Amino acid sequence: MSNASELHTAHDAGLVQCQVCGNLSKAPAHLSKYDVMSCPRCGARIKRREQNNSVEVTWALLIASTILYIPANMLPVMSVYMLGKGQPDTIISGVLHLLEAGQWPLALIVFVASVFVPLLKLFSIAFLLISIQRKSRWRPHDRMRLYKITEYVGRWSMVDIFVIAILTGLVQFGNLARIEANAGAFSFAGVVVLTMFAARMLDEHLIWDISRKEEPAA
Amino acid sequence: MNQSPNIACPECGQLHHYRPIAPGQTAFCTFCGETLYRNRTHMIDAVMALTLAGLILFVMTNLFPLLGLRAQGQEQEMHLFGASMTFWNQEYRILAVLIVLNIIVFPLFELLALLVVTLTIRNHWESSFAIFLYRWMREIKPWGMLEIFMLGVLVAVVKLGDVATLIIGTSLWSFAGLIVTMTAASSILDPFTVWRELDKTHKVKPHE
Ligand SMILES: [Zn+2]
Ligand SMILES: [Zn+2]
Repeated sequence: MSNASELHTAHDAGLVQCQVCGNLSKAPAHLSKYDVMSCPRCGARIKRREQNNSVEVTWALLIASTILYIPANMLPVMSVYMLGKGQPDTIISGVLHLLEAGQWPLALIVFVASVFVPLLKLFSIAFLLISIQRKSRWRPHDRMRLYKITEYVGRWSMVDIFVIAILTGLVQFGNLARIEANAGAFSFAGVVVLTMFAARMLDEHLIWDISRKEEPAA
Repeated sequence: MNQSPNIACPECGQLHHYRPIAPGQTAFCTFCGETLYRNRTHMIDAVMALTLAGLILFVMTNLFPLLGLRAQGQEQEMHLFGASMTFWNQEYRILAVLIVLNIIVFPLFELLALLVVTLTIRNHWESSFAIFLYRWMREIKPWGMLEIFMLGVLVAVVKLGDVATLIIGTSLWSFAGLIVTMTAASSILDPFTVWRELDKTHKVKPHE
């Protein structure tokens, strides 16, 4: 174990920390809103609390992904052509077909990855943003855990896109049977990518910052 | 000890003094409980061995077909790269590029970056290039999606299972091995130690 310092945080000590490599460096006395500071060790761009626009950028990405979420669920993601007859499937109807066929473990995987996880992401990022903006001090540890879960599970939504890629790649038997990808897949991939960026842009240190201010100084 | 705190928790920013710990031990943040650093013996050697194995498995996975499908006397084969080409052929070009990045480019970049980083630390080379690669490897990490693609393969296999005859390709096995080696490598590797080691041979020292 290492010793906790009397000084609370890097921020209190006038230091900034690189989010990529963890290197600490002195915060410059003057930095205008558009100056960019890069890490002296690894060269990554360092976000500074004073000029932090993470909340605005995250909101923008979140709103864009919420809008894309509508066509992602309304439009068909792929169509199965059997003997010339085509049947387009949306994400939901795909899950329902799996249930009808009795393949409920598969239906559950697709439902969790493609319906539950994207919704969870949209709601939890919005919740975290609102709690930061309202300077909430409510359970910072739990909100941090929610953030980490959101960041971790988001990528798994791509599984449906990969399934479509594999199915369209394999089932190409001309008129007999073939599978085509549709526009819904494109919007859905857009939702996954945008929510991944939104989770990355959200500066999770903001969750702690406000809670710490209330603690008695040691 | 009178030295100033020199590390901060990556999660909450709490400052700590760096203290060497015994092999096998782990240091945690006193405020939020996040792992700060670990001391593991032979860490660099183990990661290098896993990376070399991973590179061989990566080549094998891309050379051989992943899955095949037989229906009505016709046969269809698909390579890893082919899975993204289907989107390209259907005019969803951006989606095709995204998939190639997710399952080929980023995993390969991660393997090569790990190889350069471990070689640099072992041989005490000047570390500017390794630092550059390791930085981008860390930023790109969530976008490499081999294990998610594997889940996709399993879902597709079950879906097609009762419609047609599936042929499990050679590369499916090397693909599974690749995921295991890469997961092992990244769970063994302690980023704090890597940065500390790379810093030692970094010529372009920052202003203090
Ligand atoms: Zn850095
Ligand atoms: Zn901490």
